[in-house]
Amino acid sequence: MSAPPRRGPDSTPEPPQPAALAAGAHGPVERRDALLLVGASLALAALGGCDEAPEHGHPLHAPARAVDGAAASADYATVLELDGLARGVVVRTRGGHAVKLEGNPAHPASLGATDIFAEAAVLSLHDPHRSRRIRRDGRPVPRPMLDAALAGAREELVPRDGRGLRILTGPVSSPTLARVIGEVLAAFPEAAWHQHDPLAGDGAQEGAVRAFGQPLAVVPDLSRARAVLCLGADPLGDMPGHLRHARDWITARRDGRRARLIVAEAAPSITGARADRRIPLHPAEAEPFARGVAQALGVEGLAAAGTHPAAEIAAELMAAGPDALVLAGRREGATVHALAHAMNARLGSTVLRTLPHPLARPEPMAASLAALASAMVAEEVTHLLILGPNPAYDAPAALGFEAALRRVPFVLHLGARQDETSRLCAWHVPMPHELEAWGDCRAFDGTPSIRQPVTATLADEARGPVELLSALLGAPVTARAAVEATWRAIWAGRDFDAAWAEALETGVAGGAAVPLSLQLREGWDQPSPPMPAGLVAAFAPDPGTHGGAEAHEAWLQELPRPLTKITWGNAALMAPATLAELGLSPGDEVELGLEGRTVLAPCWPVPGHVPGCVTLPLGGGRRAGGPVGEGRGFDAYALRPASGAWTMPGLSLRSTGRRTPPVTADSHHQIDPVEAVRSVKPGGALPQPTRDASLHPDWPYPGHAWGMAIDLDACIGCNACALACQAENNVPVVGPLAVSQGRAMHWLRVDRYHHGAEENPASSFQPVPCMHCEQAPCEPVCPVNATLHDHEGLNVMVHARCIGTRTCSNNCPYKVRRFNWADHRRSLDTPARNPEVSLRPRGVMEKCTYCSHRIAGARSAAANEGRALQDGEVETACQRACPTRAITFGDLNDPGSAVSGARRDGRHYAMLGQLGTRPRTTYLARVAADEEPS
Amino acid sequence: MSDNTIPVAEAALRPGAWGFRLAMAAAGAGVVVLVASVAAVLVRGVAVWGNNIPHVWGFDLIAYAWWIGIANAASLFAAVLVLRRHGLRTAVNRFAEAAALAAILAAAAYPILHLGRPWLFLWTLPYPAYTGLWPQFGSPLVWDFWGIMSHVVVTSLFWFIGLIPDLASMRDRAARHGRMRAARAYGILALGWRGSVAHWHRHQAAYRLVAALVLPLLLWAQTVVALEFATTLVPAWHQARLPLHVVVTGLPSGLGVVLALAAVLRQALSLERYVDERDMDLLARLLASAGLAAGMAYAHELLVGFLEEDPTTRDALAARVFGGGAPAYCGAVLLSAVLPQLLWLGALRTRTLIVVPVGVLAAAGVWLDRWSIVVGGLLRDHMPAVGPEYAPSVAEWGLLGGSVALFAMVLLLFGRLVPAVSMFETRHEESETEAEREER
Repeated sequence: MSAPPRRGPDSTPEPPQPAALAAGAHGPVERRDALLLVGASLALAALGGCDEAPEHGHPLHAPARAVDGAAASADYATVLELDGLARGVVVRTRGGHAVKLEGNPAHPASLGATDIFAEAAVLSLHDPHRSRRIRRDGRPVPRPMLDAALAGAREELVPRDGRGLRILTGPVSSPTLARVIGEVLAAFPEAAWHQHDPLAGDGAQEGAVRAFGQPLAVVPDLSRARAVLCLGADPLGDMPGHLRHARDWITARRDGRRARLIVAEAAPSITGARADRRIPLHPAEAEPFARGVAQALGVEGLAAAGTHPAAEIAAELMAAGPDALVLAGRREGATVHALAHAMNARLGSTVLRTLPHPLARPEPMAASLAALASAMVAEEVTHLLILGPNPAYDAPAALGFEAALRRVPFVLHLGARQDETSRLCAWHVPMPHELEAWGDCRAFDGTPSIRQPVTATLADEARGPVELLSALLGAPVTARAAVEATWRAIWAGRDFDAAWAEALETGVAGGAAVPLSLQLREGWDQPSPPMPAGLVAAFAPDPGTHGGAEAHEAWLQELPRPLTKITWGNAALMAPATLAELGLSPGDEVELGLEGRTVLAPCWPVPGHVPGCVTLPLGGGRRAGGPVGEGRGFDAYALRPASGAWTMPGLSLRSTGRRTPPVTADSHHQIDPVEAVRSVKPGGALPQPTRDASLHPDWPYPGHAWGMAIDLDACIGCNACALACQAENNVPVVGPLAVSQGRAMHWLRVDRYHHGAEENPASSFQPVPCMHCEQAPCEPVCPVNATLHDHEGLNVMVHARCIGTRTCSNNCPYKVRRFNWADHRRSLDTPARNPEVSLRPRGVMEKCTYCSHRIAGARSAAANEGRALQDGEVETACQRACPTRAITFGDLNDPGSAVSGARRDGRHYAMLGQLGTRPRTTYLARVAADEEPS
Repeated sequence: MSDNTIPVAEAALRPGAWGFRLAMAAAGAGVVVLVASVAAVLVRGVAVWGNNIPHVWGFDLIAYAWWIGIANAASLFAAVLVLRRHGLRTAVNRFAEAAALAAILAAAAYPILHLGRPWLFLWTLPYPAYTGLWPQFGSPLVWDFWGIMSHVVVTSLFWFIGLIPDLASMRDRAARHGRMRAARAYGILALGWRGSVAHWHRHQAAYRLVAALVLPLLLWAQTVVALEFATTLVPAWHQARLPLHVVVTGLPSGLGVVLALAAVLRQALSLERYVDERDMDLLARLLASAGLAAGMAYAHELLVGFLEEDPTTRDALAARVFGGGAPAYCGAVLLSAVLPQLLWLGALRTRTLIVVPVGVLAAAGVWLDRWSIVVGGLLRDHMPAVGPEYAPSVAEWGLLGGSVALFAMVLLLFGRLVPAVSMFETRHEESETEAEREER
């Protein structure tokens, strides 16, 4: 270790070889040498801090005016993974720091939109609780020691062909990682690769194998479908490609080709909330229902008959013929999936694509993990590399993975943070964040993308899975080199540099997979035994923490879950009737028992939930991984059966007599129709009110007059707008106590309303930013002129002038103003903050500004180019994030603008318009579901 | 100086009895709590209170309106006595003035403390700032500034002018006892009063003039507080009748406090001769009348409220009266309107053990009414409830209890250092009575 290896953009870094260790790689490192190495690595870390980003990506757009390097802004196209599959994003950087993510319009899984997990990636990149050091038994060690350990492992494994070596990854769609794993398996033929994904849809894999003999991905085309039956599927919410499906769904709906969306599910999902017909279906009825529909459709080859009263909806599918499709959700069993495939085949559906599975090796993940666990118990595993997942937390407790892990002599955990698994592993290696490392992965439809770093690494010792595996192979390569090698091979015969540059610029490295043409196999229908009676435990991914993997994201923890409005935790969700039957009130603590395992959880009613079933959101009760996620809610994995099943009968439920209510942003369960959300029949229009006379003269707007229209028919309640706003405007996280006190700071909240019977209500969502009223009630009551009307009609808040009387909030009928009860500036003043939006001190009011900094930016950009602002040039953060383009923003003075067009729509209305506030933010009424087939 | 006023002056200058010390100790402890509560809100911000969105106001505005109500009723009482040259003024109007002053000082602290950035309260004052910005004169909060400032000035003047001849008596008495420092201090405050006929003439004119000023100002201050609510769009607050409601329902608190104070002080300072049974009887009748007026205001509220065309306004009233706000509303009606009706029974009016609790409970009832308006008024808004209910924190209770303690301490010190019963008027009245007797 004579000279620290310098890294440069052109030279591939040469990691120190084990041979360079003075004390030798085989013996223990001497204390003095260890100190030397620690010193050297510190020096390296310091150097890393000053260096130019060594492996930076290509800016998508050159900055308009680069004043200097530090202030330069640049946008990069890259991809983020969810469930192992890619969504394209464009990352905005300021002075080298990633500050905001937006969707990549060129990427099929984004089309310019984002979801909450993508928005929150900026926060996890800058998370102070990220793991930054290589550790052995919990103590930081210099990197060469890890290299030595890997070399030692290699020397042990080579003679026995890798027997005892196991690799555990999450779902892998990355061609490069799959290639490198393949190389490891080739070099060590006795080794094995396992995958673990607690949220995997194993039923889909098995169902596809039963139906067609191979795993595959069913990709619906909601832009063309006329009737869609969702068997527990949530295409707008958590299905791979959900952003795309949401856009397709609304495109058809806007064009007057409304797909009739029929959702049969146990617990309400956001697709269920937007369904034209929602059928509450107990998990035990899922298969009989699917079978009944299949029978009514005349599917051939049914092994058993099934009936269900609601199976008459088959007629609607039949009427739509090839424009109909059946989707089964990730939580459904193999039989339901096979039935769905058979129904689609029977309908001759042309509105779906049957594609090769985008994962490199699709397999039932629960079985894969169980095989690893049993091998570990049998002490067949000597070396285990856990590359990413956190099985000590999210493996089913019944599997005993933690105990089995202790039997493995060499366990290396690669992870972004020190979590439940790393605590049990001898070695922990920090994993680079997705925004700071090279990689590649595939989208839901197989479209590959290259992931490029958008920022200098913030954890210098971090190493990706490819780097670790190649080190194990004895031929270390950098992630970039490995990705390049993969794509050099794939693009053989093309100009690599041009293809590479294009892939980085567009964020897409190829097209979608070619659809398969498959025939239904004989014997595809294997009926499951009927579910025994009793209360059913239905596990489900928590919509905020994505099964716990995102539990460290404070933005996500504080974001009210779409339907339950629970924040900072989870609860056992059940029908209000079930709650009443058990004599419980919302927030009572119950002891849940399943197969002898117990866990304590608060109970919470969800209108529309099916009785006789309790939904247990997976992702709470983290025991490690940082203070944000630890101890929030209860750990439903502790109840999950070893099979990793999504539903399990035999749940027992006992009140403990204590109360542990979850933190909710909405403590009111009443179902009442409010006038805030209006609806019309398809093709209908609202009566347009005449403008009330006002004593106040109108404001003159010679220039622009900004306005926003939100289409409630398009809103699916996904919360992307709320989180985009939080990221864009430096909105603080206040913590569970302050949320429970009603002091959350979200500038844009998404209200949820239930209408109708609580057994199966219609639900609707309403994003509520500041209304920027023409006659703003907040303005005249402020004693110090801190909130004013500007020359373009914005209701602006002058933070520096505010003395905090809070009168404006009192007089705001929409309650969109937020007060800084505490000083949040310290928590916000990180590199992740948007430098274009000021931080607010304690004691002042704040609220939505219509992203006035974006308006100012667009105005000056246009002025520099000597032209007028074009419609669509100013996009607010919420508008940009929305997957269904529900939010329109623009100039009301321009009759040709999209927002002016929305205002002329028959569905247009102003919320609380009768108060005479003349809001600038207005709504388009929801189009009510008509119960008759269209 | 007539011998008759000696016990009064003695009471003020008498070294503290144990009861006085005990009361001072309790009030002092309360003031410590007040200081801690004020420090908490200044250092840690309004977050130490239970406020939230939508309940941006809670104890702060409740206590503010309540204290102003006490101050108003007490000043109103004293001013009416002065203007009508009623015999009762000889006895209790000094108490009433003192109570009003202490209450207005307690009230004035709240609008400043409740700000997010209290150190910037100056921005509500119209002064030529370097920023070139003026307050927004259309905001009821600016009117409120004028209201509370006028109230403080006029109440202080009223109290002080009435005190001048007595301060001169104190000066003379202290000088006679050879306590020259005290004599000088009283002398400065007595503004060179020598008791000449010209002095008496001007004094009477000034006293009546300020008393006359008090009357519209009292309505104004309470009205402005009400306007802060009435000018909003909140359905339960957006009422033209709210100023009248707040003025009328505020009366029992001030009268109740004055009655209770009179009853306590007359026993504690052995002033039965000066605050006699007839005085107490009249005060009690006034409280009962105020209760009746408040009761009519409540009846009017229900009558008008449920005849309202707008369903949201009706729902808001229903939620406040029958729904979640029922306990506070019913408590307010019972304590401030119904309970004082007991005092129509002559046998109860003169019993200290009856009138003190009735007076204090009437004040508590008015506090509940303010709660019912400020907190209960938000039970039903135009949008469904967006936040949890309002729950006051320890710091808020500390501030309320502490300000009550400060009020008590000011009154105790008042009784200790300056004559509580106006000596000159007592003397004046006695001389008139004597003259009448002689005439017969």
